[in-house]
Amino acid sequence: MKRLFDTGNAAITEAAIFAGCKLFSGYPITPATEIAENMSRRLPQVGGFYVQAEDELAALHICIGGSLGGLKAMTSTSGPGYILFADPYGWALGSEIPVVIVNAQRVGPVSGITGAPGQGEFYLSRYPTHGGNFESIVLAPSSVQEAFQLTVEAFYLAERFRMPITVLADQIVTDGWETLLIPETEAEIQAMGLRVAPRQVNYGPEFYPATDEIDVPPVVLGHNTGAACSDWTPTAEGFDTEEVEWQHKHAYRLIYKVRNNRNVITQYEEFGLEDNPDVIFVAYGSPARVVKSAVQAAREQGLKVGGIRLISIWPFPDEVFHRTAKYLSVELNYDGQLVREVQRAVPKDSDVHFLGRCGELPKVAELVDAARTLINGQALQAIKWEREAW
Amino acid sequence: MDYLAEKFLKAKKIPSTACSGCGLGQVHKKVLMAIDELGLGSADVVWGTGIGCAGRQTFNTWKGDNFAGTHGRVYALATGLRLALQPEQKIVLTVGDGDAFGIGLLHLLHCIRRNVDMTVIVADNFGYQSTGGQYGYTTPSGSITDSSPYGMQDPNWVQDGRDILDILKSAGAGFLARHTSVEGQNAVESIKQAINFKGFSLVHIVYPCVTNFFGKALGSRKPVDAYRWLKERTNPAQDNLEGITFTTGVYHKALDKRQEFSEQMRKFTGNVQKRCQS
Ligand code: SF4
Repeated sequence: MKRLFDTGNAAITEAAIFAGCKLFSGYPITPATEIAENMSRRLPQVGGFYVQAEDELAALHICIGGSLGGLKAMTSTSGPGYILFADPYGWALGSEIPVVIVNAQRVGPVSGITGAPGQGEFYLSRYPTHGGNFESIVLAPSSVQEAFQLTVEAFYLAERFRMPITVLADQIVTDGWETLLIPETEAEIQAMGLRVAPRQVNYGPEFYPATDEIDVPPVVLGHNTGAACSDWTPTAEGFDTEEVEWQHKHAYRLIYKVRNNRNVITQYEEFGLEDNPDVIFVAYGSPARVVKSAVQAAREQGLKVGGIRLISIWPFPDEVFHRTAKYLSVELNYDGQLVREVQRAVPKDSDVHFLGRCGELPKVAELVDAARTLINGQALQAIKWEREAW
Repeated sequence: MDYLAEKFLKAKKIPSTACSGCGLGQVHKKVLMAIDELGLGSADVVWGTGIGCAGRQTFNTWKGDNFAGTHGRVYALATGLRLALQPEQKIVLTVGDGDAFGIGLLHLLHCIRRNVDMTVIVADNFGYQSTGGQYGYTTPSGSITDSSPYGMQDPNWVQDGRDILDILKSAGAGFLARHTSVEGQNAVESIKQAINFKGFSLVHIVYPCVTNFFGKALGSRKPVDAYRWLKERTNPAQDNLEGITFTTGVYHKALDKRQEFSEQMRKFTGNVQKRCQS
């Protein structure tokens, strides 16, 4: 086991190399730039290519072009770049081309605060392109080590599901320094539960099966299979068609290959839920770590509090929210994004509340106070522009 | 076309969905003739397109491997693909004037700056025709189109002393040519040179859109009028003709070969690997 003290950005880089990434194309942006810098140093060492793109549109297009030719590829950005991925993301999604996209979320909208954490792309990561008729897969690390784990997993899911996968991190995860363990032996890889799927070649003639099956090899050009990849609705052989019947088949596949295989994707962590607590915190990414500490602190003070940490956030794991309780969604934004999905997923007789912070993490004491307030049946103290109750 | 179609095109894509009388078929045929005369087959060429008439009508016609990128971004896509393909495999892109000189110009310029080995065929129908006929970047000034009902007043890339090919040359393009679809073997020869050129090459081919451009700007949808108009302005001899003309032939061929992008990337990566091992 290699033991390092490094950043989330370094962990993501090493994970990509571990997973077999051979092409990185990106455009510098805080707080994801170090992934590009690390890739420019690391990729040539393993026979891979680093291409600094003219903009984010080009960056993801270069990645999906490389992937279309058989190279595992990754790009990274922050919110202002992630929105520009809308165009190539849709192409990769519709053409079913594997690619990994890292988004280090910062304070927005637009440029906002470049060096502070935010969680403003929760919904954007669900709908990173136009047109509908698809599901997206998004993984959200909350630590440096998990950034490594989930980046490896993102490459794995990208291959099996033939699609772009977003790793939705935040600035604290990407810029933060922590211990990073990188496995070196097969036993260590197994112990860490890391999965790697090799790139296969689809030899056709059916390239776009009208099923919900996964593990269908992606289209790779250059093997003279007569393969065709485009942004138009494809027939099974990749011909562009205006026929609605094929659009139905295509939509079915893009939606249900994800929905019907959620067991391969869904990951979450629960703490303190054994005794049906009065209050359940919900969070993903770095705030989830404060939540975990707050649950422990609240328990020490005799408050029945539990927590749910989402690790995969799309498809949204509705099933985790089956307990009736007072839910408190803790997020790095003031408008409330995750809270809306929680509200949708919880049993009808539950209350849903929101605690937003932006640019900095909430404090453990704040969360414990919030739990006590809710248990006492009082309303949370909301900042003027926040809406507390949901 | 029959011999070429049978040899190179997918049966499902014949006949093409282009309007009857459209000049795009002439452009497509010239590219196939060039490929045929070079002795290349389906395994040697990966064919890419964008959208619009040029993309829609040529996508997945090629018997070998195909792709169609989003509008204007296909050069970036092909840049990534170039790194993955065998160096001897050719990338041929058929795109429209909007794709190349409008929405995609930035990516095209960077592709040229990097000298990515590919051949771009710009099938120029004087504007946006698949969307119904709006003016573009090569529309002759003053033309009546759906988005210039009083005559186009927006400066284009090919008049008043400007030539888009100058810009591409300055960016570092190694091979550039211009033709019209009514030309014959001279156009095929230029395409052959472009395909054989190791590095970025582009052939700009003007063709008549009978349905929209000629129908509106010239007031006639008759193919013969459109072809006559184009023929009268096609100027391979580089004579001093008045008005709108298309000076055709090889526009620029670099004598000093710049290093090709993927070749250079492979060499660079190899050197770094060696340096790290020693
Ligand atoms: S609209 Fe014009 S360019 Fe397009 S296919 Fe018809 S004739 Fe050809």
